[in-house]
Amino acid sequence: MSPLSGSRSRALVAFAVVFGLGAGWLFAQEQSAATISQQVRELFERTAKAVVKIHGVDEHSEICGTGFFVDPTGTLYTAYTVGGEAGNFTVEFNGKKYPARQLVADIRSGTAILKVDETTPGLPIGKSEELELATPVISIGYPLDLPKTPNFGMIAGFDRKCLGRYFSTIHLRVNAPTQRGEAGAPLLNMKGEVVGIVVSGLENNSACYAVPIEAAEKIRSDFVRFGEARHGWIGVNNVSPPSQQVEGSRAMVTQVAEDTPAARSGLKEGDVLLQVGKKKITDPEDVFDASFYITAGDTVPITVMRGNQKMTFQVQATMHPASRTGMLLASPGTIPGVIPMSLDEDAPPSP
Amino acid sequence: MDEFNDNEIARLLRLKRYEQPPPGYFENFLHEFHRRQRDELLRQPLWRICLERAHNFMLQLDMRSLASYPTAVAAVLVCAAIFSLKVYQQPEAARVATQSPLTLSVPVNAEQELNLASPVARQIFRMQPVGSFRQSAQTHRAAPPRYVLDSVPVSYEPTFRF
Repeated sequence: MSPLSGSRSRALVAFAVVFGLGAGWLFAQEQSAATISQQVRELFERTAKAVVKIHGVDEHSEICGTGFFVDPTGTLYTAYTVGGEAGNFTVEFNGKKYPARQLVADIRSGTAILKVDETTPGLPIGKSEELELATPVISIGYPLDLPKTPNFGMIAGFDRKCLGRYFSTIHLRVNAPTQRGEAGAPLLNMKGEVVGIVVSGLENNSACYAVPIEAAEKIRSDFVRFGEARHGWIGVNNVSPPSQQVEGSRAMVTQVAEDTPAARSGLKEGDVLLQVGKKKITDPEDVFDASFYITAGDTVPITVMRGNQKMTFQVQATMHPASRTGMLLASPGTIPGVIPMSLDEDAPPSP
Repeated sequence: MDEFNDNEIARLLRLKRYEQPPPGYFENFLHEFHRRQRDELLRQPLWRICLERAHNFMLQLDMRSLASYPTAVAAVLVCAAIFSLKVYQQPEAARVATQSPLTLSVPVNAEQELNLASPVARQIFRMQPVGSFRQSAQTHRAAPPRYVLDSVPVSYEPTFRF
């Protein structure tokens, strides 16, 4: 055997190895894509029956959006822009149209709850807290006048603000294409559990924002307890970062309104917030998310650092001032079958 | 018949055969009859006379022909009401709108305008009276359906307060 023939054979072996690796990688890629595709298809087939098209009439024209059932009694979630300010709702599923009524609409979370008097399928509720960056998710909606459509994407961020505007609670930014008509669509994890509600598009509808499902569940819980959404307020008017971090927190109370639950319970300016309810506070922006889940009438434990001393105050929240003026909430008087309740506490001063 | 025997009856009949009324009796008989009847009538109170006359008048009338006029008029009114309801019935949107004295307004090109403005501010400043709302609803009655997806979430928090 000549030396040339030996080097040629080595080259051939090397080429075969490289080719084999490349082909294997490509095959693995294709297999992975096929697996994802199959997973999405299975998820779509399993969950799509609980997703419905919502028709309503607002002051201008008929509107169309998406919604989904969350229990077998016909309770369905949708976006506020679909079910908040319209009326005369009908819900389309199983090839039929059913009349629906609004139970509660909450502009602060951007969600609305409707009800159909039928036995319906329901999507299981998941936990948006388990989501991480790049977690794969799918949404199912009705784009334009097209049939039910799955959209596959991933969690792109957990945003508290966009373009300088703060949200009332963290919003999930999802890199999934979303079209008009898909407001109110469920955002599902790969287990088929609802983790959010699509509330808006973003930049040419190549992405979307979804409200965490916990926000809608909070509104539903309020409705079950009181017949309306009850956003709580304790009277801390301003939170800003202190000169240095205290116990890992940069959220210092800089103004406490007089004669409010916060003032009465002993919270003072200069206290550094460590925890509000179950939410840990590290930045002033954390206050939004923590305060969103406070319910008027409930007692909220608030842990602060005052000097070198850690203190916990039990503060009974009152109704959010914006709720009292009716700016944030649908009037309970307009909700059929709901008896409005009121707290016995004094009205807090307007901000 | 026991107190009158046949002889007495025959005697009375003989006497009556030659009995004659005074002259002019038959000529004045009808006049006298009417006079006595009128005297009898005028002996009753005025209200009873009116009542009797009204009763007689009603008995003379044909009630079926009288009832047909109001029936026809009622039928025409019902038809007119149904027709006007169908033609001028407001759409559902207008009925929703009239529930409150002030209602929210979203422009037709809402997708361009629903961007950075606060939804709260939008609610405050975009109010219009019901009158123009109705007009708007009429104008857009035949508008195609609007497929909803805003460009930004409606959720909005103005300050760090809680």
